[in-house]
Amino acid sequence: MAVAAPQHSALAEHVHHAPKSFINRYIFTLDHKIIGLQYMITGSLFFIISGLLAELIRVQLMNSDGRFLSPEHFNELYSVHGSSMVWLVIIPLATGGFGNFVMPLMIGARDVAFPWLNALSFWMFPPAGLILFSSFLVGAPDAGWTEYPPVSLQGPPGTSMWCVAIFLIGISSTLTGINFLVTMLKMRAPGMTFTRMPLFVWAQLATAVLNMVATTALAAALLALFLERTFGIPFYDPSHGGSPVMWQHMFWFYSHPAVYIMILPAFGVISEVLPTFARKPIFGYKMIAFSSIAIALLGFMVWAHHMFTSGMTPWLVLPFMILTFIIAIPTGIKIFSWVATLWGGNIRYSSAMLFAMGFIATFTFGGVTGIFLAAVPADFQEHGTYFVVAHIHYVLFGGSVLGLLSGAYYWYPKMTGRLLNEFWGHVHFWVTFVAFNVTFLPMHWIGLLGMPRRVPVYDPQFTDWNRVASIGSFFLVLGMAIFFINVIWSIKHGKKAGPNPWNARTLEWMTSSPPPYYNFVKVPGVLHAPYEFDQPLPYVGLEPAENVVSGYKAPMPAGSH
Amino acid sequence: MTAASLGHEPHHDDGLALYREVADIRLLGFVLFLISDCILFSSFIFAYLYMRNAAPVWPPTGVGLPDANLAAVNSIVLFGSGATMHFAMENWKHGTEVKFRRWMVATIILGALFLFGQGYEYTHINATWWGSTFGAAFFTLTGMHGFHVFCGIVFLIILLNQTLAGVYNKKQYFGLVAGTLYWHFVDVIWVFLFFLFYVW
Repeated sequence: MAVAAPQHSALAEHVHHAPKSFINRYIFTLDHKIIGLQYMITGSLFFIISGLLAELIRVQLMNSDGRFLSPEHFNELYSVHGSSMVWLVIIPLATGGFGNFVMPLMIGARDVAFPWLNALSFWMFPPAGLILFSSFLVGAPDAGWTEYPPVSLQGPPGTSMWCVAIFLIGISSTLTGINFLVTMLKMRAPGMTFTRMPLFVWAQLATAVLNMVATTALAAALLALFLERTFGIPFYDPSHGGSPVMWQHMFWFYSHPAVYIMILPAFGVISEVLPTFARKPIFGYKMIAFSSIAIALLGFMVWAHHMFTSGMTPWLVLPFMILTFIIAIPTGIKIFSWVATLWGGNIRYSSAMLFAMGFIATFTFGGVTGIFLAAVPADFQEHGTYFVVAHIHYVLFGGSVLGLLSGAYYWYPKMTGRLLNEFWGHVHFWVTFVAFNVTFLPMHWIGLLGMPRRVPVYDPQFTDWNRVASIGSFFLVLGMAIFFINVIWSIKHGKKAGPNPWNARTLEWMTSSPPPYYNFVKVPGVLHAPYEFDQPLPYVGLEPAENVVSGYKAPMPAGSH
Repeated sequence: MTAASLGHEPHHDDGLALYREVADIRLLGFVLFLISDCILFSSFIFAYLYMRNAAPVWPPTGVGLPDANLAAVNSIVLFGSGATMHFAMENWKHGTEVKFRRWMVATIILGALFLFGQGYEYTHINATWWGSTFGAAFFTLTGMHGFHVFCGIVFLIILLNQTLAGVYNKKQYFGLVAGTLYWHFVDVIWVFLFFLFYVW
């Protein structure tokens, strides 16, 4: 293996000193690691709020005659639950949270390309959440997270607040996408060619492209909806020549890529966790990397599979069905590669690994039901039923959220310098995994039997399975409570982690935990992809992590710059 | 703004190398921003095409289309500003700073003239923003474009000020590159809008 000629980079050698004041260091910070943590804390708070909204939905559905909430409030609850889980929880956590904390470390950079822009992106996020949740005070949006006109045109005042909130978070996502893309293209450590990048970075790369390109389409759709609601500018109202189907096109042109924005970072996490705990090189590195890009590109060409029953142009239905089937191929490549990575591995069942393996099972299940929904004749039966609700929760909770939880167990020691408690991690996994399936599996059946989604009252024949689902969902709360208590308790009382508790091989583990402000004393040269577990580490010029002072405020060692 | 902000002098002597690296990074970021901005326009253009395709008659009854001749004159003004912007940059790189400033001022004046022409058009057209799908698409798209021209003028004034304050030199002038790119981008968007609203 030839030694990579480390290209000279004035920027990589140029280091700023950590700001002195508490406010500059921890509140209005420019440090990607602290901003990542800010995203995670804010996103977790929003997760708790919108999770509790979901519990109110499940309490209502315990009985078929719906006496717990008024139908109006029920509509508001599921609309805000869906919107906030997508835009305030999964997308910010997957990109702004994990992407921010881990990606620059993984590529051997000292920060993202535009730290100031990064902070700006973050500071649009809490206001967006506050605006969305405070819409309950004036009448929250009630047309579902998709806010189809004409219903959304007639919706309560909170619908306009919804537009503003999602627009804000959309700008934030776009800026983050641009920022990350430039970081990954321009600021990798010397010798880190594209095919030596960790797979989490590949996943973030594909996600950043989607964020940057798709999110402005959503901004246009939201702007038009806001203008029509506020000033009566006719875009969507058919009585003035507008078209509600046009909203669906514009909305799904963003929102289908958005499901890949939500799942690709989780794919990236899984691709790091599996080889580390199976002690085996990842199977099919290039196939996993390139399939992320293939998914991102194909993701732009399948949006109308959400609209088969909308009355859109009939000849368009067939190409969208076929393209959607095709997207299952790169996804299948990933799943087979992950399973092959586990095959014959020396598997260590840590909490992170359990969540990763749980992810493979539930995400595959959700992917298969996705194929059902993409098949036009089947979709006519399933559209608008609980089958869709079951599918989306298998891919978003069983996929994205389990993936991010795996990442949380994996990188928590890097973030805090301490390990999460493994016993309670195992309890968390098993409670969550079982409760998740108890909650969402029955929804497939009642959906196929014809129970529509988004209804506060339903046919009494579905009562039993709805009660099972509700009881399952209460245990999901228990599982998440265990997790959050573990997270808070372990900050002070967790076992000390050291720089590399998992014997992992990517660059973020080659510095102290938590890393200092400047990440690396010396930026390393990279000789190889990081997954060859039987080989020596593929880095040159690294200061041993034991010698790097840990802590976010650690000063630069004297004599270096 | 970046890890090594341009305002901070590096400790070591390769200041120019650092500047080039940072400028390179910023250029990519700025181009990506323009691409995402382009998607914003494209989405509204899609909406316009969709509504026009769905309408039984076009233009909708009672709506008068804008005057193509006026728009043609206005377009010449805008494309002229693209040319003056180009001359300004050429003079920055190869000519004198005085000439650079003259061309910049000419660009700003032409941009302002374009906005004035657009205002004249808005007040004399037989259509309203809220009255029809034509109005919705026309005023939203040309209004968004006009807003971009306005931002461009502000951008150019700031750049002109910065050159007066000596922020840039012959080798280090990233801000001017970004300003030029932005101005040409706004020009190119207008080519599409002109075709869609006045020619087709």
